[in-house]
Amino acid sequence: MSSKADKNSLKLRALRAASSESESISWAGEGEARIIRDRDASNPIAVRFDHVYKTYKLYKTDKQRLLGAFSRKVSYKTINATDDLSFTVNRGDSLALLGLNGAGKSTALKMITGVCYPTRGKIEVHGRISALLELSAGFDNNLSGRENLEMRCQLWGFTREETDALIPEMHEFSELGDYIDQPIRTYSSGMKARLGFAFASSINPDILVIDEALSVGDKRFRKKCEERVKSIMAKENLTVLFVTHSPEQAQQFCTRGIVLQKGSAVYQGGIEGACEYYDNH
Amino acid sequence: MFALAKTFLQIVRDNWVWREQAWELAKIDLVKTYRGAALGWIWLFVKPAVYIGVYYFTFAVGMRAGADVNGMPFLLWMAAGVFPWFFMGDMIGLGSDVYRRYSFLVNRIRFPLSVISTFFTLSKMIVLAGTMAFTILACLLLRIKLTIYLLQLPLVFALMMYFWVMWSIWLSPLSAISRDFAKLIGTLTTPFFWLSGVLFQLDESPHIFRTIMNFNPVAWGCRAVRDCFIDQKWIWQQPKALCCYLFVCVLVTILATHSYRRLHKEVPDVL
Repeated sequence: MSSKADKNSLKLRALRAASSESESISWAGEGEARIIRDRDASNPIAVRFDHVYKTYKLYKTDKQRLLGAFSRKVSYKTINATDDLSFTVNRGDSLALLGLNGAGKSTALKMITGVCYPTRGKIEVHGRISALLELSAGFDNNLSGRENLEMRCQLWGFTREETDALIPEMHEFSELGDYIDQPIRTYSSGMKARLGFAFASSINPDILVIDEALSVGDKRFRKKCEERVKSIMAKENLTVLFVTHSPEQAQQFCTRGIVLQKGSAVYQGGIEGACEYYDNH
Repeated sequence: MFALAKTFLQIVRDNWVWREQAWELAKIDLVKTYRGAALGWIWLFVKPAVYIGVYYFTFAVGMRAGADVNGMPFLLWMAAGVFPWFFMGDMIGLGSDVYRRYSFLVNRIRFPLSVISTFFTLSKMIVLAGTMAFTILACLLLRIKLTIYLLQLPLVFALMMYFWVMWSIWLSPLSAISRDFAKLIGTLTTPFFWLSGVLFQLDESPHIFRTIMNFNPVAWGCRAVRDCFIDQKWIWQQPKALCCYLFVCVLVTILATHSYRRLHKEVPDVL
């Protein structure tokens, strides 16, 4: 029985590993977007944005938004969270996205991870992504830390045995101790970030996305995380995307930087130049 | 039409690829619902038992309407309608707003949205299957005669499951966009309960009302389960009711596919 189940899950994982998606999205009357997404970690390009726009529609009320879903007559304002953004991240790069609040960093990351969709332009992502978006790696508030880890491992496609082997390691890294069996809603933001980071960095992704997670932990834990990122970067062909508004942190372990302003890239290049540009503007 | 078919195939494919995860998440949803209660699983049975008790008291004792139905005890007749209703009532209210309940799966992880509807429905279906198993067990203990028609129960469950998954895929994006809409659907729960023959026999109502009720999926669900326990009929022996139900299924499939196609890319932006 169990061997049959194993076989099935292996087959399923193979199916998903091979799955490559190419999507064309057309938003009613606003443009065309294309997304290419596969698990090919040998492609020299990890992420590429090609003239990407992300337009949010701002309605006055929820009611208007509902009406807007059916009719085009309802008026709304638009805002471009991402405005003609183009960049390429090569395999093995570590790239910092610098920018003030509202510069479109998180939106860009969300589009990379695939939880939201561009309005126009082309996005390519090659390889599996592990992401920490806004401090939570997709945790359910009512489940305990351990159950959340189990669930996330399940969603990532690990077998029961792999999960059982990984969880003690994540538990140890997060330093949560007995809190691991308490519901996530009782966690502080630092604890959530620790747990999230433990998960995101333990599952052996091709692309690791870190969104401000390192800015909430205390100094000692931040250091630990930085060492962790450096160590996994050293031994594997890991691509890191790091979002921050602190140039000091970016310089720690990124080699390249992009400065975002109002959704578009105003500077691309080496990390020193990027930080300098960011400080001066 | 072609685009709709493509979206429908996409939904089917997502559900197939993520079927193991859907099963695991359904179990987690169950655990979550009864989390934090010392008695835990007992609550699964306490709520239905209390409701059945109150309804029984009202009808059998209060209104003296508790006569046997088709030679079967009134209590069994009621259980065969009220237990499916708990499933359907949950689906009307909670099932039409699953994205808000699982917002972390929408905007933190890449996860196919239609599968959220599937595993939520599945989790409620597990509860229904549990209460029906309990009913069967009680019948066996009380030596109430069960018939061959009980064998069609899994088929009835599958047909119900299909409709309510589609219902959830149809309405959840709209509920995510507008709270008003979610509330509106929530208020439909009570009318559906009282108009769908959960607690009275539709056969005795006027012809026009019966015709309308043929298109009511809640009424069909209750009737189909009662066919198994009480009326001892195959569901296809009432072809008109079955065809109407299948027609409603097709209709809601089209609506669900349309709504999903239009809105599933907007949902992460608004939640």
